[in-house]
Amino acid sequence: MAAVSLSPVQASLSPRLLSSHTPQSTPNLSFHSLSKPSIPFPSISLKLYNPIRPCSLIIAAAVKNLAETDLVAVPLTADEFSKKLPSKSGVYAVYDKNDDLQFIGISRNIGASVFSHLKSVPDLCSFVKFGVVDEPDRESLTQAWKSWMEEHIKTTGKVPPGNQSGNATWIRQPPKKKPDLRLTPGRHVQLTVPLEELIGKLVKENRVVAFIKGSRSAPLCGFSQRVIGILESQGIDYESVDVLDEEYNYGLRETLKKYSNWPTFPQIFVNGELIGGCDILTSMDEKGELAGLLKK
Amino acid sequence: MGVTKEQVESTLKSKLNPSHLEIIDTSGGCGASFAIEIVSEQFEGKRLLERHRLVNAALEEEMKQIHALSIKKAVTPGQWKQQLESEKSTSAA
Repeated sequence: MAAVSLSPVQASLSPRLLSSHTPQSTPNLSFHSLSKPSIPFPSISLKLYNPIRPCSLIIAAAVKNLAETDLVAVPLTADEFSKKLPSKSGVYAVYDKNDDLQFIGISRNIGASVFSHLKSVPDLCSFVKFGVVDEPDRESLTQAWKSWMEEHIKTTGKVPPGNQSGNATWIRQPPKKKPDLRLTPGRHVQLTVPLEELIGKLVKENRVVAFIKGSRSAPLCGFSQRVIGILESQGIDYESVDVLDEEYNYGLRETLKKYSNWPTFPQIFVNGELIGGCDILTSMDEKGELAGLLKK
Repeated sequence: MGVTKEQVESTLKSKLNPSHLEIIDTSGGCGASFAIEIVSEQFEGKRLLERHRLVNAALEEEMKQIHALSIKKAVTPGQWKQQLESEKSTSAA
């Protein structure tokens, strides 16, 4: 085991398994619990990803690995990403434009993780190094991460800023599910204003509102689900209203159909105006018109 | 039994005078779900939302029995022509 003293910072170190595909189930590997000294040091086979000339190096101690790995410029488009970065498990190190190491992470999908970093902190993501871990069980991933961390700490005496405790820049925040909005305090409460007015107020006060069947976390119809999917994939901050909620949105379906002069659900409003339903949103999304409209 | 494809077709033809119309019964036979591609001059100068409204309004009676109506395309003859050409050129390339 590489005898690098990590003790001053050890408690705060934790590799983060970042996978944009399963953000909820992202485990937080604790450096401590998973790197018990009793674990025999496994030979990690780190493969440098190179589609043309794949060369694999077997690293026994994996200490020199970070230095030996090629620095790759972070591609700017999703298309380029799939060509240059593997969607495989492994360890990766992100560098800013001055070649300063910012963060070392492990991921079940290196390409996707780096892409999500690029989206959230583009200024810090200029270059990347990565090593694909074959047979990526938790232990070998952690081990690969550890060896890179140790190597970096050994050469620079510093923990990468993104790996320091309290730095949340690189952690993918689990998407906070907002609650669905309710139009009324309950079906048995006498409304003092007509429901139309409540709808009008709601869609004007919130920039993007989706009236859907079911809740946003569990849409009950395929069209509503697709709408939620599109809104979330675009990273749009939106409010949702469950038109099937007979307790708090009693009578909403009929009233909303009249209000918007639109016969079906889901319905998406932007700045108080109906944009359309699932078909329209889908086709706008395909044409790339959505970003402009929703981010205005 | 819901509405038939033919019913939807004849209604749309008479009300929107489409130059191209394709209706796919996606209900699996119960007549409650359709997907539509429609090309009509009446869409000229109208936003997608308004075009969908035209289709929905034309099918007002049928809609009472249709559960899901998916309007895949609602374009003007000009756009339709463009689209066909771009498809042609990409498939030729």
